[in-house]
Amino acid sequence: MEYFKNSLKSVLGAPPPGTQMTGAETVETLLARVSTSTLLEDRRDACRAIKALSKQYRLEVGAQGMDILRQVLELDRNDPEIIGYCLDALCNVTSKNILKDECENNANVGEQFSEMFLKNPENVSLVLSFLEEYDFRVRWPAVKLLTSLTNSRPKDIQDLILVSPMGVSKLMDLLSENREVIRNDAVLLLISLTKSNANIQKIVAFENAFDKLLNIISEEEYTNGDIVVEDCLLLMLNLLKNNTSNINFFKEGSYIQKLAPMFILPDNLEEVGWSPQKISNFHCVLQVVRTLVSPNNPAQIVTSCQKTLRNANLLESFCNILMASGVPADILTEIINTVGEVIRGNLTNQEYFANVLAPSNPPRPALVVLIMSMVNEKQPFTLRCAVLYCFECFLYKNEIGQELVVQTLLPSSTGNTTVTTGQLLCSGLFSNDSLSNWFCAVALSHCLIENPSQKEQLLRVLLATNLGAQPVTLLNQCGVFLQHTSKLQAKLGILMLISMWMAHCPAAVKIFLNVPGAMAFLTAQTSASEFDNNEELLQGLCAFIMGLCVLFNDNSVQNYSKENLAQLIEKRVGLETYCKKLSEVSRHEVYARAAKQPQIKAKHSNELLLEFEFCKLFKVMECLIIQALGVQRDLSNGISELSLSEHENALLLQYKDLIRDQDKKLQDLQKKYNHLQKEFNELKAQMEELQQTNTQLVDQNTLLKAQLSAGTTQVTNIIHEIQAPAPPPTVDSQPVFIHGNNDALLERIKKLEADNERLEKVEEELAEKTSEIESYQRDQDDLLQLLTFQDTKLNKFKERLRQLGALPHSDESSSDVSDNEKDKESGPSLL
Amino acid sequence: MSYAYLFKYIIIGDTGVGKSCLLLQFTDKRFQPVHDLTIGVEFGARMITIDSKQIKLQIWDTAGQEAFRSITRSYYRGAAGALLVYDITRRETFNHLTTWLEDARQHSNSNMVIMLIGNKSDLETRREVKKEEGEAFAREHGLVFMETSAKTAANVEEAFINTAKEIYEKIQEGVFDINNEANGIKIGPQHSPTNPSLPGTGGSGGSQGSGCC
Repeated sequence: MEYFKNSLKSVLGAPPPGTQMTGAETVETLLARVSTSTLLEDRRDACRAIKALSKQYRLEVGAQGMDILRQVLELDRNDPEIIGYCLDALCNVTSKNILKDECENNANVGEQFSEMFLKNPENVSLVLSFLEEYDFRVRWPAVKLLTSLTNSRPKDIQDLILVSPMGVSKLMDLLSENREVIRNDAVLLLISLTKSNANIQKIVAFENAFDKLLNIISEEEYTNGDIVVEDCLLLMLNLLKNNTSNINFFKEGSYIQKLAPMFILPDNLEEVGWSPQKISNFHCVLQVVRTLVSPNNPAQIVTSCQKTLRNANLLESFCNILMASGVPADILTEIINTVGEVIRGNLTNQEYFANVLAPSNPPRPALVVLIMSMVNEKQPFTLRCAVLYCFECFLYKNEIGQELVVQTLLPSSTGNTTVTTGQLLCSGLFSNDSLSNWFCAVALSHCLIENPSQKEQLLRVLLATNLGAQPVTLLNQCGVFLQHTSKLQAKLGILMLISMWMAHCPAAVKIFLNVPGAMAFLTAQTSASEFDNNEELLQGLCAFIMGLCVLFNDNSVQNYSKENLAQLIEKRVGLETYCKKLSEVSRHEVYARAAKQPQIKAKHSNELLLEFEFCKLFKVMECLIIQALGVQRDLSNGISELSLSEHENALLLQYKDLIRDQDKKLQDLQKKYNHLQKEFNELKAQMEELQQTNTQLVDQNTLLKAQLSAGTTQVTNIIHEIQAPAPPPTVDSQPVFIHGNNDALLERIKKLEADNERLEKVEEELAEKTSEIESYQRDQDDLLQLLTFQDTKLNKFKERLRQLGALPHSDESSSDVSDNEKDKESGPSLL
Repeated sequence: MSYAYLFKYIIIGDTGVGKSCLLLQFTDKRFQPVHDLTIGVEFGARMITIDSKQIKLQIWDTAGQEAFRSITRSYYRGAAGALLVYDITRRETFNHLTTWLEDARQHSNSNMVIMLIGNKSDLETRREVKKEEGEAFAREHGLVFMETSAKTAANVEEAFINTAKEIYEKIQEGVFDINNEANGIKIGPQHSPTNPSLPGTGGSGGSQGSGCC
């Protein structure tokens, strides 16, 4: 600190005597120096001091110095030293952690400053560009600043790195860095950057991440290496988790095979022991394997990864570790889980596992050894859970495996004295340890999933309870045990087993109904009105079993026929209470937790109450039971399609189809009607036009007739005139008179001649007109004929319309009656 | 599973031109008429034979949408080959080729082999871009050209294999620095300088990740 004060003095000059600068003032002065000083050395010294102060006075440095420091990064980028100071200072300012010399209320300061810094996208590109600088003083702080920013504002920086060209590539180059400190910090940075960002994960994988990481891991001697191996594995885990594309790449790139050296246990392991780091490394690599075959992945990917794991002999390695001695319990637990997921649903792998032998004397199947640990109270809880999960995975979609287990329970001809899975399960089922009861019940129930023949086979199992007493069936014993045990966990386990057994198996129902007191117990539980401490689950499960007894009843037990039981539920319990009890189960948080994933996850043994496969069964059967009891769903809940039963749903669909059909028909008819209406209107218009032409023609006709008659009278007049006898010409002696008379006569003759000429013309005209009239008359006749034809056609169309139901029946044949008038006519009759 | 070389490919081009379908046809030999939009990038792989040598192709199928363009850029540098795809029934996808090419040339290593592909050649009736136009564009920009149909599988094999041949020739000519994995080329285990059967010595090959298995 003394050195620091001295250096401050040298930068700032000695303070004037008598005044003491506050921290804020110092920062301010220093920043002013950085931004105004012309000498690089001055700026460098100021930056060094700012870096030193940035922890204690980060509020001041961040608030006032962000821009100035950024400027330095741009302008002085050729001087590694000053850049290093700046990056370090910014790193301190943006750190999410509360720094050592800092007061507590600065909790969010780092995030806020990070946000400020990231507001300008160019800042990220700038820092990324410093990664290309080889100088240690620049590259390392640049990595640290990016890490600090990522921890404070992960989402922002992820987006910015994706859009900055070659952003991820520059980071990936750091993995080949030979200065380990930078390389290791780069791994850490990439771990934070790849968290829940599939795009960055893919680019990182594309940039040969798996090669580079596996290189580092092998250089560090695999699981024997230090924490950097763990970090590399964590990064791999980030790249693979829920990223199908990358998992596919991992498999196709033969990286699974490259994991193999990680699982080779050294011969001298017992002397060397497991260091905590080795345990962590081992744990991580197992997580990597499990991510590849996680039940959440698409089935196709899981299957191909399982195949590759077997072919690369990794399954064998896992089984070896499983059977090795001296393996720490938590590694053993994880190995068991891993083996489970590697064989889950894969027949070849399941068969391989069934044949694995433990190196005991005499050799026992690994399965038996595992089940032994499951029913052993002294084993750690998580280990016992893992064994159950592994056993479930072994039975998943494995009819042969299911048969194998059930067979070990059946009375066999060979007097086999060795311990078998079945025997262990049966003794665990009724032991004093309720957790064992639960484990064994669930394990047995998994032997019966979707396997009707094993349900029947298991009914044949007989147990000798007391010496000398009659042997009882396993199911019978379950019914008895259910009534006697006081532990909730055991009861729930047994109930889950029974329900798995009785679903789709009337023979099991028959036996269960004959268990003395069983139905009374169920009825009492179902009708109980009070509960505490998860007892609602017990009551719900009892109700569920009663429902199954109704559903899969073949009416072979006299007092408990389908009808009787339904009545029992209705009278003794009440349908409403019954449904409430049932729905209580699926609403329970324990149910929600168990239904989430196949793996059994619990911190404490008393949390284990329900199980994944049972939840699946419950979900399917609940609806069927309610439907079988003829219960209407509570309407206040609102009927959604989801809440409907299968039958109701089918009915609904049927109606929907019907409506859709009718709707279609209706539309078709409407279309047809519109078409016809249009046609009708067209015809009507056509007809009106024709009528109009017709009247015109008639008018013309009368006009012509009038003209004709006028012409005729004129002609007769003229004819009369002509026919009137002309006075005989009198020859007079008086020549003048004659001459005069002659003149008059001549004139007269001339006139007559002219008249005659006119007459001839008129006659000609007349003949012309007559022929014209004749042609008109012919035309008119034709038109009239056409009119009648159109009229009949119109009537025909109307008839057709009427047939199609578009027009109401009416005797009015006249097309002039408008629709309105018709409406008016039909109006009153409707009233 | 052993191979002489491993080539990394990317498939680029506008959205909806059939990039994912080409990949599916090549890796799985099937056609899926309804495909969701590719989000980000998908991965596929297949083994082929060139010059009687086993060559493993790792193909990254990118998203064509503009929103993912910056993500796509991150893949150029590490790829040895790129299939630049357009849709012969949509002129605009052809018009955008220049932008794609600029992007690719700017961000990739200079030796990256680019194959121009006019996809959907089965839809002849809806063709908007003539084959000659594609050929001319390829000639002008020094690309290999081919028309394919992911639906009928016509030319799909050839498109991927011819690209690989081109890369292979470049390797033979010594154009590619095969020891630099950033080029998108890896030498297979049996070709690596160190003996693969001796784990532990693989590290001496520098960045040779494949030497140690």
